[in-house]
Amino acid sequence: MSGRLHRPQRWAWFLERPGYLLFMARELTGFFVAGYLVVLLVTLGRLGGGETAFAEWLQTLSTPGWTVAHAVALAASVWHSVTWFAAVPQAMPIQLGEKRLPAPLAAVVMGYGPWLTVTTIIVWGVLR
Amino acid sequence: MPAEQTMTLEIFRYHPETDSEPRFQAYEVPYDEDWVVLDAINWIKDHVDGTLTHRWSCRMGVCGSCGMMVNGDPKLTCAAFLKDYYPRPVKVEPLVNFPVERDLVVSLDGFMEKLEAVKPYIIRDDVNDTSGGEYLQSPAELARYKQYSMCINCMLCYAACPVAGHEDEFLGPAALALGHRYNRDSRDRGRAERLDVMLAGEAIWGCTFVGECTAVCPKHVDPAGAIQQAKAVAAQEYFRRFAMPRGAKDAGA
Ligand code: SF4
Ligand code: FES
Repeated sequence: MSGRLHRPQRWAWFLERPGYLLFMARELTGFFVAGYLVVLLVTLGRLGGGETAFAEWLQTLSTPGWTVAHAVALAASVWHSVTWFAAVPQAMPIQLGEKRLPAPLAAVVMGYGPWLTVTTIIVWGVLR
Repeated sequence: MPAEQTMTLEIFRYHPETDSEPRFQAYEVPYDEDWVVLDAINWIKDHVDGTLTHRWSCRMGVCGSCGMMVNGDPKLTCAAFLKDYYPRPVKVEPLVNFPVERDLVVSLDGFMEKLEAVKPYIIRDDVNDTSGGEYLQSPAELARYKQYSMCINCMLCYAACPVAGHEDEFLGPAALALGHRYNRDSRDRGRAERLDVMLAGEAIWGCTFVGECTAVCPKHVDPAGAIQQAKAVAAQEYFRRFAMPRGAKDAGA
């Protein structure tokens, strides 16, 4: 339409509000979660490749570079999970009659609770 | 008597018949603790420059027409107090992500089309049949959608949404929240019709859950939450139609 002024979005739109930066951080930390999955798949592949291949891979994983990478990936994955658990009450509210389960409680029931339960079972299974 | 305190408003100006580019114009306005940004703009229009163009009506956060960018944040200017900015200058611009008609006034056409597309009204065949009395609704049924019905169409959420800024197909926060509001209404039977619209292209899937729409909403509608819930409904419907292509629509309501 003539006369109307169109103001295109800046390519660096994510710098314009702190909320956008937090969003980008949440999305980018997802790559670390994917990275974990790749490491797990490679580990399974090596396991299938025999005892020596697996032992060599474990050797590689215990080098300082890999240890640092794991620490960074763990921090990023925890941050990613926390942001998603914070979003759970918004995306999947639990309605009880006229009331909604308060957000912190919903995050525990739908997010932290199941997470801790599954983690505990896995840790127990591994350390037993 | 102390000299009158003043503060500066830098206002976005654009008159399509004379300006090829927008510009900012600074105005000194009296500073009053009780004034909101809208009062200052009205004062400029009444006392300094009658050509300044802006929209407003209720001055009490109900009509939704006074939304503008105040120092980069989408705000209802009738609810943005000068005292929260004083003594620094305040920069006022039209809402971003909308074409500018003139000065602080944006074009609503695109938003109105999107709003219409989600059919934001109760759909049912027997709508004129009152022989059975009112369509009763329990407080719990009302609670399922009440929050999403509080929208005043101020469009602050569109100005806060980076997807609305570059994806034309995306219906945007307020329209999707209103579609969801009717989908959750126990009296409504139009869910399948609305899902036809919501499932198309980027209409709903454009949303990446940035969440700033909810952060800026003056009515606590939580459009971001509504959209994620609507996505879940849309995904179920998508797979149902995929599994049962024929007659799927009829079963949707
Ligand atoms: S959802 Fe909130 S911010 Fe968006 S138009 Fe409605 S009232 Fe305004
Ligand atoms: S003038 Fe009506 S909402 Fe601000």
